[in-house]
Amino acid sequence: MIEAGITLLRLLLGLGALFFLGYAWLTLLIPRPRDFSGLERAAFSFGAGVLVLTLWMLALTLGGVPFGLEWILGPPLALAAALLLAPRGRRAVREDWRACQVRPRIAFNGWDWLFLGLLGIVFLYALPRAALYPIWAWDAVATWGCKARIFYASRGLDLTCIDAHNYYPNLIPLLLSYLYFALGQVNDSLAKVIFPLWGALLLGLLYSLAARLGLSRRSALGLTAFLALNGAVFIVHLYIAYADLPLAFFTLGGAGLIYLWLAGAAPRGSLTLSACCLAGMAWCKYEGPPLAATLILAAALTLAWLRPARWVRRLGQLSVPLAGLVAGYLPWRLFAMQQKIEIGADHIQGFYPHQMVQAIYYLLAGLAEPYYFGFLWPALALALILAGNRLWRSPRLFLALFVGGNLLAIILAYAVAPTGAAEFPAYVRATLDRLLLHLTPVAALLLALGLKDVDSALANRNLPGNHPLPVSKAEP
Amino acid sequence: MTPAKTWRLWLVGLILGLWGLQVLWLIWYFGPEARDLARRAARGNVGAAIRQAEPLYRWATALQAVIPEHATYVFLDDYAAGKEIEVRYYLAPRRHILLSPEIPASFLFYALHQEHAAFLLIREAQKPPGPGVQAAMHSPAFHRVNLPGPGLIFRVDADLLRWGFYD
Repeated sequence: MIEAGITLLRLLLGLGALFFLGYAWLTLLIPRPRDFSGLERAAFSFGAGVLVLTLWMLALTLGGVPFGLEWILGPPLALAAALLLAPRGRRAVREDWRACQVRPRIAFNGWDWLFLGLLGIVFLYALPRAALYPIWAWDAVATWGCKARIFYASRGLDLTCIDAHNYYPNLIPLLLSYLYFALGQVNDSLAKVIFPLWGALLLGLLYSLAARLGLSRRSALGLTAFLALNGAVFIVHLYIAYADLPLAFFTLGGAGLIYLWLAGAAPRGSLTLSACCLAGMAWCKYEGPPLAATLILAAALTLAWLRPARWVRRLGQLSVPLAGLVAGYLPWRLFAMQQKIEIGADHIQGFYPHQMVQAIYYLLAGLAEPYYFGFLWPALALALILAGNRLWRSPRLFLALFVGGNLLAIILAYAVAPTGAAEFPAYVRATLDRLLLHLTPVAALLLALGLKDVDSALANRNLPGNHPLPVSKAEP
Repeated sequence: MTPAKTWRLWLVGLILGLWGLQVLWLIWYFGPEARDLARRAARGNVGAAIRQAEPLYRWATALQAVIPEHATYVFLDDYAAGKEIEVRYYLAPRRHILLSPEIPASFLFYALHQEHAAFLLIREAQKPPGPGVQAAMHSPAFHRVNLPGPGLIFRVDADLLRWGFYD
């Protein structure tokens, strides 16, 4: 019993160190962290902490320093403490401390409780499902979990003993191996709690971003529950230890912040924070860099189409998220080159038109498939139709371009996939849900803009419990 | 309220109704797993104890004591069976090379020699051995390790392997 308590304490300390580290970096990256809501700060602190720590572990390997908790945590925590002792850090901590002491009472109504209850049920199932079962899903065993075990055992980023897509970025394996160091043992069931945690932070971020878009608390909570409890894919990814949920988290963060920036409703430092998210995307999964690049492309196209004031200058400002993408992509790429790791040799060998035709059918079927994401994508299609001309005349075009462009990219990716005709349907079945998961939270954000129109209609009817949240800022 | 707004609210109502059905379906879909989770949690049969029920895991755990961490082993199995990745996971960081159970002797012996493999593992002992395994059973370079479990284990003396004449 005491041993179990100590293990749990070690896990909590390990996770707490990630939040602490990320929070300190937030004070460096953004002028005033309190411009972001508590949920946003928690989500971005965790994302930044994970990113910084795993990149540091990569640097340790490059420097030939064997992994050990003192080296993994010591220097980053010392730097974090220094950041928090600097004037900006001290101010952020002071403001947060004051805010903790004066907490406004939130009065939830019936709908709020219903949505919160539904979300609670999801995590009441997913958290023990993650923490009490060992790693068993294919990619978790074959790739992410296996590498984490190896990194822990070899005390470094050593890929000489396996051949498991060695060119894949290593944020997840390094994070899991860090947790093994924190736990003092390989405990692949307990370390999996980061996935429901990540899912909860993703949902918190979505709620908060939806509130910023002007949704009432009820609608924002409803949208969050609508994402979590629509289809089985999101729930399953809360406990199977795949890299897709973290990628979806970083994608939502990046897309949400860039959207707010385009809409002129972003808190100061949002673009820098979006750079952090894009770095996370690139370092998280092989699909991350192209996904991050399409975020920047969609933002550039939106600026060029809408031509807001000083749009050329704003185009130049997109170099900030671009720098984040490079910062997340380059270290691993240089490491792979140094270690002579072959990059992406199993992709693109030709273009197969018949696969493209099939892929269009599978994609459309997947979007409408209740098992994947329930009615979220059909609801989004409806919202886009109802948006009419507003889609082309507002920054929501950015989100639509990103989501639509990536749906096209999925079709193209299947058209060049080197599989046999007989294997192709199984190949699509094994990958489509995950590719859609990367985009679905952003699709939910786009749906939030549609919901805002409905909210306005409801507000006209003066229904109770439908007041906009204090943090909301209207889309210009 | 204008007819257009009423129509929109009807659509929202329809989506919400379908979502309600979806939530009920999710409860039905995850029900068996949730029951299994509750049963295991109540009995304390969780974490590593779940794996103990698998013969393959027990076999791989016993192999950890036989195969040194720095050693290389060749594993004969079909990738699609999904068991090879489990064994690789349990035996990490030992160097793992997957080959087909139907591999001819020449290629198997060549791979063992070339990769300095110290062990040959065959997951399914019950299956009729392929040509490579048959040759291994009659070669002085292979010594059977008696370990209870679903598979076969051979210690390999790679220096005794010569190639170029097995076919």
